[in-house]
Amino acid sequence: MNKNRLSLAVGLLLILLFALMLFTFQVRQTEVALVTTFGKPSRTEKEPGLKWKLPWPIQRVLKFDNRVQNFEGKFEETQTRDGYNLLISVYAGWKIEDPSKFRNAFADGSTARATQTFEERLRSEKNAVVGRHPFSHFVSTDPKEMKFSEIEKEIEDAVKQSLLESYGVKISFLGIKRLGLPESVTQKVLERMREERQRFVAKLQAEGLSEAQKIGSGADLERTKLLTAAEAKASAIRGQAESDAAKYLEVFEKNPELALLLQKLSALEASLKDRSTLIFDPRTPPFDLLEGSKVKTSPGTTK
Amino acid sequence: MEKNNLRIGLVNWLILLVAAAVTFVAARYVGSASGLVAGVLLAVGFLVALVAYFQMRLEERERLEKLEFDELNRQKGSTNLFSTDEADTFAARQSREMFEKYFVRGFAILLCLGTGFGTWWLWNYLGRAALDVSEERSTIAMTVTGLFGLTLFLIGKYTSGLARLDDQRLLRPCGSYMLFGAYVSFLVTAALALNLVGYPRYDLDLARVLLVLLGLVSAETLLTLVAEIYRPRIKGKVARLLYDSRIVGIVGQPESLFRTAGQALDYQFGFKVSETWFYQTVREKIGQWAAIWAVVLIASTSVVFIEPGEQAVLERFGARTGGLLEPGVHFKAPWPVDDVFRFKTREVQTLNVGFVPQDDDHGKTILWNVAHYKEEFNLLVANRESGTTNASGGVSVPVSLLTVSIPVQYQIRDIDKFAYAYANSGGMLEKVATREVIRYLVGVDLNEVMSTGREEAANNLRTTIQKRSDDLGLGVEILFVGLQDIHPPTKVAEAYQGVIGARQEVEARVLSAKGYAIRTVLIAEAEAQKKINDAEAFAAQRVTGAAATASRFTNQIQAFNASPSVYPMRAYLQTFARAIGPARKYIIATTNSSEVIQFNLEDKIRPDIGDVYIPPGRDEQRAQQLKQQQQPQVPKAP
Repeated sequence: MNKNRLSLAVGLLLILLFALMLFTFQVRQTEVALVTTFGKPSRTEKEPGLKWKLPWPIQRVLKFDNRVQNFEGKFEETQTRDGYNLLISVYAGWKIEDPSKFRNAFADGSTARATQTFEERLRSEKNAVVGRHPFSHFVSTDPKEMKFSEIEKEIEDAVKQSLLESYGVKISFLGIKRLGLPESVTQKVLERMREERQRFVAKLQAEGLSEAQKIGSGADLERTKLLTAAEAKASAIRGQAESDAAKYLEVFEKNPELALLLQKLSALEASLKDRSTLIFDPRTPPFDLLEGSKVKTSPGTTK
Repeated sequence: MEKNNLRIGLVNWLILLVAAAVTFVAARYVGSASGLVAGVLLAVGFLVALVAYFQMRLEERERLEKLEFDELNRQKGSTNLFSTDEADTFAARQSREMFEKYFVRGFAILLCLGTGFGTWWLWNYLGRAALDVSEERSTIAMTVTGLFGLTLFLIGKYTSGLARLDDQRLLRPCGSYMLFGAYVSFLVTAALALNLVGYPRYDLDLARVLLVLLGLVSAETLLTLVAEIYRPRIKGKVARLLYDSRIVGIVGQPESLFRTAGQALDYQFGFKVSETWFYQTVREKIGQWAAIWAVVLIASTSVVFIEPGEQAVLERFGARTGGLLEPGVHFKAPWPVDDVFRFKTREVQTLNVGFVPQDDDHGKTILWNVAHYKEEFNLLVANRESGTTNASGGVSVPVSLLTVSIPVQYQIRDIDKFAYAYANSGGMLEKVATREVIRYLVGVDLNEVMSTGREEAANNLRTTIQKRSDDLGLGVEILFVGLQDIHPPTKVAEAYQGVIGARQEVEARVLSAKGYAIRTVLIAEAEAQKKINDAEAFAAQRVTGAAATASRFTNQIQAFNASPSVYPMRAYLQTFARAIGPARKYIIATTNSSEVIQFNLEDKIRPDIGDVYIPPGRDEQRAQQLKQQQQPQVPKAP
C-alpha cells in the first residue's frame, strides 16, 4: 500500500513538473523572448526570469539572443575612386532590437540566415562607399589625407537605418577588419619592394665606395703634404748646409791650383769605386816606369 | 478469459499506437535522434500488442465456443452427436490454431526482418546526418515524452501485474513493451533535458544504445524462430509466444531479473536464499534507494565548487542575481531554479593577430625568408615615397606589404560585460584588435615601424585596443601587445637581408679605406721624417766635411809649400794607387801605334778560368801550416 502511495506521489510530482513546464518558460539574462498566440506575436519578454504562458500549441515561445552578435563579411575585391583594386572586409556588432520584426524577416529566427542577409546588404553599401574614396583615404602616412574612420562611419550609416527598419536589427558598431590587394597586384608590390631594396643596396654600395675613396685619397693627400713639407724642409736644411759649408771654401783661395788638384784626385778616387776597366798608356805615371825595362826596381832584380 | 483482459489488450495497443505516433512526431519536431528510435521501438510494441490482442480475441472465441459445446452436451445428454467430426464443430479453435500456425509465425518473421532492417537503416541514417537538437522545442518534446512515459509506465505496470497474477501469457508481451516504452520515453526526456543544460551529444549516444536494443530484439526473434522448429511438442505444454521478447521483458520489468537471480541462488545454495530478509529487503527497497539517489543527485546541484582562478555568476530562473562567486564552496537552489556560469578571470588568454600559429613550433629558428606559422597574412603598410610611374605609364600603388604576428594577451576584467553584453566577447576582441592593427599600419611608414617605431607601435596598439574595448564594453583588460614578428613578406625578405649584407660590405670597405689611410699617413710621416733626417745628416756631413776639408787643406798647403814639386805628384800617386786597386786594368806596353788592339769589355755572364778561385796547393798548405806551427814556438821574452 505504501509502495503504491509512493508511486502515486512520484507520478503526481512528475505530472506537476511536466505541467509546470508546459505553463512556464525561462528567459535568461542573455535572451529576449517572443510569445506567439496561435502563431501571432502577442508579447515580448525582455526582462530575465520565470514567465507564464499558455501551453503549446496555443502559445509558443521563441527565444533570441539579445547580446551583441559578431558579424564578419567576406574579404572582397572592389575599386576605389582613383581606380585601385582593393580587398576589404568589414566586421560589425549587431543585436536584435525588435524580436517580432526579426522573426517575421527570418521565419525560423535563424542568426545564420540573418547573417547571410546582412552580407548581401552590406556588400552593396560597402562597395558604394569604397568607390567614393581614393586609395589614399585608406592608406597614407599623411593624417590629413587618411579617412579610415570616416569611411567606417559612412558604411555604418548606410546600412544602420535600413537594417533596423527591415529586420529589427540594430548595428552597434562597424569597422574595417582587413585590407589587402589582389594577388596580381600583391606580386607587383612585392617586386617593387624588391627593386626598392636593390636600389638601396646599390646606393649603399656606392656610398661605401665613395666613402672609401674619400678616405683613401685623403690619406694620399696627407702623404703628399707630409712628404712635400719634409722635402721642402730637407732642401732648406741642405741649402743652409751648403751655405754653412761655403764659409770654408775661402781657404782654397790660398792655393787654388792645389785645391783643384786635390779635388780632382778626390773625384777620381770616387769615380773608380765601382767596377771599372782602365786601359793605360805606359806613359801614364806610375806606369811610365814600365817603359824603361832596364830600370832597376830593386837590388839584384830587373823587370 | 474475461472481457476485462480484452479491454486491457485494446487499451494497450491503442496507447502504444498513439505513443509511437506522438513520440515520432515530437522527435521530428525537436530533431531528436533518440526520440526517433524510441518512436520505432514503440511502433514495434504497438504491432506486438495488436497481434496479441487478436490472438486474445481468438482465444476468447474458442473459450465461448467450448462453453456452448459443453452446454449443448449437457442439454441433449449424449456426446455421440459430435464425437465423430469435431473438426467441423470447433471452428473457433481451428481459426486460433491456423492463426498461431501461420499468422504468428509470419508475423515473427516479418518482425525479425523489419527490426533488423530498421536497425541497419537507422544506424546509417544517424551516422550520415546527425540530427541537431533544437533547444527551443526541447521543452515541448520533453513534456510530451515525459507524459507518455508516465502513462505507459502506469498502464504497463497494471498490465504486467494482471498478466502475472492471472497467468495471462498474451498480456505479458503487451505489459513488457508498455514498460519498456515507458523507460525509453524517460530516457529520451532525460536526453532532451541534458541537451537543455548543454550536453547535446547524449541524445545521439542514447539513440545508438536504443538501436542496439532493437537489433538484439531482431536477433532474439530469429533465434526464437529457429528454436521453434526444433522445439519438442509436448501435449498440454503451452509454448512461449514467438513475439514475446525476453530482452524487452527484462528491460521492461527489471524485477524479473531478481526472480531469475533468486531462483539461481536458491538452486546454487540449496536453500531459499530468495526468502532471506536481506534479499527481500534489497528487492523491496531498491526502488526507494533509486528514488533517494535521484533526490541526492538533484540536491548535489545545490553545491558549487568554484576553482582557483575562476569566478562565477549566479542566475535564478535565468535572471542574474547576487554578486560574483569567488573560488570556494557555494550553495544555491537546485537545477533548474539556479544555474551557475563560470569564467576563468585570472587566466591570461591570448588571441593572435596576423597569423595562425603552428600546432608545435618550439625549437625552430625564426627567419624572415621562411614562413614560420601555419598561415601568415600580408598587411598593407603606408609608404612615404609617393607612387612612382611605372613602365606602362601607370602610377604604382604607394603601399608596401608587411607580415606581422601580434599576440594580444588579456584577462576578463568585468564578467557582467564579458558574459552578457556580447555573444562571443573573445571573438569580438579579436576583430577589434585586428582592426586597430590594420588601422595603425596603414598610417605609418614601413621602414619606420620596422625600426625606430617598433616600441612605440606596441605601446600605441595596446592603448588603442584597450580604449576601443572599453568603448565597446567588452569587459577585458589588455595586458600585452607584442610585435614579436614584424618583417617584410617572405618573398622579399632576402632582398631586405641583402641590404644588411650591403651595409656590412660598405662598412668593410670603409674600414679597409681607413686602414689604408692610417698606414699611408704613418708611412708618409716616417718618410718625411727620413727626408728631414737625411737632409740634416747631409747638412752635418756637408758642413763638418767642409770644415774638415778646409782644415786639411790648410795643412796640405803647408806640405805643398814645403815641397811644391813633389807634393802634387805624391798626392796623385797615393790617390791613384787607392783608386785603381779594384779596377781591371789593361796596360798597353807596345809602342807600335799602328797596331789595333781589341778589348771585349762586356760583363761576363759566366766566370772564366781567370775568375776561379784556386785553393792553395798541398805544398803551400803544408808550408802555411808549418808557418803557423812555428809562430807559437817563438820563444817568449823572459
